[in-house]
Amino acid sequence: MQNKSGEIKMAEEIKNGMIMTVFSTASAVGKTLLSINMTAELAKSGYRVCVVDLDLQFGDICNYLKISPQKTIYDFQKNVENEQSTLDCQDYITQYEYQGISFSVLAAPRKMEEAYNISTQAVIAILSGLRSEYDYIVLDTTAAFSELNLAAMDLSTIITFVGIVDFIPTIKNMKVGYDTMRSIGYEKNKIRFILNRNNSKTNIELQDVEQLLEEHFYHVLPNDFFTAMDSLHKGIPLVIDRDTTALGQSLQDLIDKYTNRMRASDTPNAPLSSWMKKLFK
Amino acid sequence: MKDYHVLLVEPNNIMLERLSSVVRNTKGFELVFRSRDPQEALGQGGAFMPNLILLDIDTADSVKTVLDFVRAFPQTGILCLSNYWNAQIASDVVKAGAKGCLIKPFTTDELAAAVNTFGNSGMGMLSEVMTFFSPKGKSGKTTLIANLAMALAKKSGENVAIIDADLQFGDMSVFFNLDPQSTIVEATRDINLLSPITLNSYFTPITENVRVLCGTKRPEFAEDVSPKAFADMITMARSLFRYILIDVPPAFNPISVTAAEKSDKVYLVSMVSGGYEVNHMQRALDIFKVWPDYETKVKTIFTRVEPCEKQEQDNLEKSLEYPICSILPNEYLLVSAAANNGRMAVDIKPESPLARSIDQLAAKICDKQYQVR
Repeated sequence: MQNKSGEIKMAEEIKNGMIMTVFSTASAVGKTLLSINMTAELAKSGYRVCVVDLDLQFGDICNYLKISPQKTIYDFQKNVENEQSTLDCQDYITQYEYQGISFSVLAAPRKMEEAYNISTQAVIAILSGLRSEYDYIVLDTTAAFSELNLAAMDLSTIITFVGIVDFIPTIKNMKVGYDTMRSIGYEKNKIRFILNRNNSKTNIELQDVEQLLEEHFYHVLPNDFFTAMDSLHKGIPLVIDRDTTALGQSLQDLIDKYTNRMRASDTPNAPLSSWMKKLFK
Repeated sequence: MKDYHVLLVEPNNIMLERLSSVVRNTKGFELVFRSRDPQEALGQGGAFMPNLILLDIDTADSVKTVLDFVRAFPQTGILCLSNYWNAQIASDVVKAGAKGCLIKPFTTDELAAAVNTFGNSGMGMLSEVMTFFSPKGKSGKTTLIANLAMALAKKSGENVAIIDADLQFGDMSVFFNLDPQSTIVEATRDINLLSPITLNSYFTPITENVRVLCGTKRPEFAEDVSPKAFADMITMARSLFRYILIDVPPAFNPISVTAAEKSDKVYLVSMVSGGYEVNHMQRALDIFKVWPDYETKVKTIFTRVEPCEKQEQDNLEKSLEYPICSILPNEYLLVSAAANNGRMAVDIKPESPLARSIDQLAAKICDKQYQVR
């Protein structure tokens, strides 16, 4: 943690972080795994990143990272509601660190009744607080157009819309969800379709889905159930310790696209990478 | 079609004339006796050998009147007539022996539909409402409900309904390849104007005795369904169906909580995929612990259990620390093929392991019902 509370920030240090929501219209498509790995990969590139678990009732971020938070979003919002013009995010986040890579987690409430009592207004205030301290805020959500999710998506620069092609009802819901998002005014380029588990057993063609959606997939993640499962049981984002697997590579490619980054492996002109990074910081 | 010989009791003269003409104009119905006075009907009606009694119950003591008629005409079906729908009274008269309730005035179509519906299901109030809740979704819950409804209908021979209350992303219409005329949005919107018979027409038939109330056509319509109207609709549906299976969205929200509260049983459904499903199940169970009878009301089901054996169920039970009602095997390909073709009702073969497991669950549910409530 560099910016401990009480430390005076210099003007150029005040950030205006980018909010990225990970959303889907079906459950169990890999939102949490994707959120965690996007966060870890951004952190690996040197950004200050916070992942927020907005699956308030059944959030899995802490499970997948094997961390036990002292404070959660519930404690944070209580403080927001009570007064607090100066929100100190650092009091409520849990820092994840592994092999020198570090990022922040704002955990889902521990108790179900706490999850019930979190207002969307408070979450919006929290997010704008986080914005001033982080380069990226990644939001993991639930598969519903809830008031909270809609507010989160409103604030987001990019919505990562995760889908799997398993059977027709799932694809119908993706289409319905996409149409809904378009109808409430989200720009096309705000919504990025990510297909997860491309090679899973299915007899539905990718092209057919794209035709139905009238959109292309921005990125396709390969199917590697074993690596994914193994990573969540170990509690380590796979871009950190399994970055050479096909899935690890593909997740890094996704962040390359999101940050307009070029990795050393992509180009012999290595210094460009850090130059690019600075430019987009 | 069977001929109905109708005995009509209605105190209001104008209404009596009006209803008489409806009965006479309904195909297959013959008005054999009518009266404004229940006592007169009790005394003289028997001579005309009615096999259907339409009985006004907007009287001081509706239950007593029904009991009198049941005693005088034990072999005759009784449909009660009322100016308005009252769930409590409807429940009371059915307990007293009537087949169901019809709201006055009714049309020829409604009369015919009422006789069909109540003729099939008989005791409307002896119904069991089951809500299927899954903490995180993607549990195979929709597949389970679709197949369980079919199995229950087959086993019991009675009317079964599915209510798709997964308002934003309900899949029931896709599973059965339906293009419904009306959905849960219209049914809840109109509920104050409906009676059981007219509500029945909002359900889309799948087979002779299985009907589905489909979910919304677009997610934004979900906002139009108020929990209060939804609750009223469930109560009214009880007089139409022996079993009602409700599919609710993942996570606790006003609709899933309402469904759970209106249910006799809540089934928590989760797949097993090596993640944190058991933890989520425990979290969900915790919420229901405020019910004093939660151990009898809340049941758990795990899907995609491999191998689907007793040993595995015991292991799951141990880590869950709660009894498991049923485990279902993984038949991903079979299910997805059936769902893709909208042939859920016909493609899942009864000899498949999944169908057999669901059959056993249906048997459990049916058996329970024959115990005294």
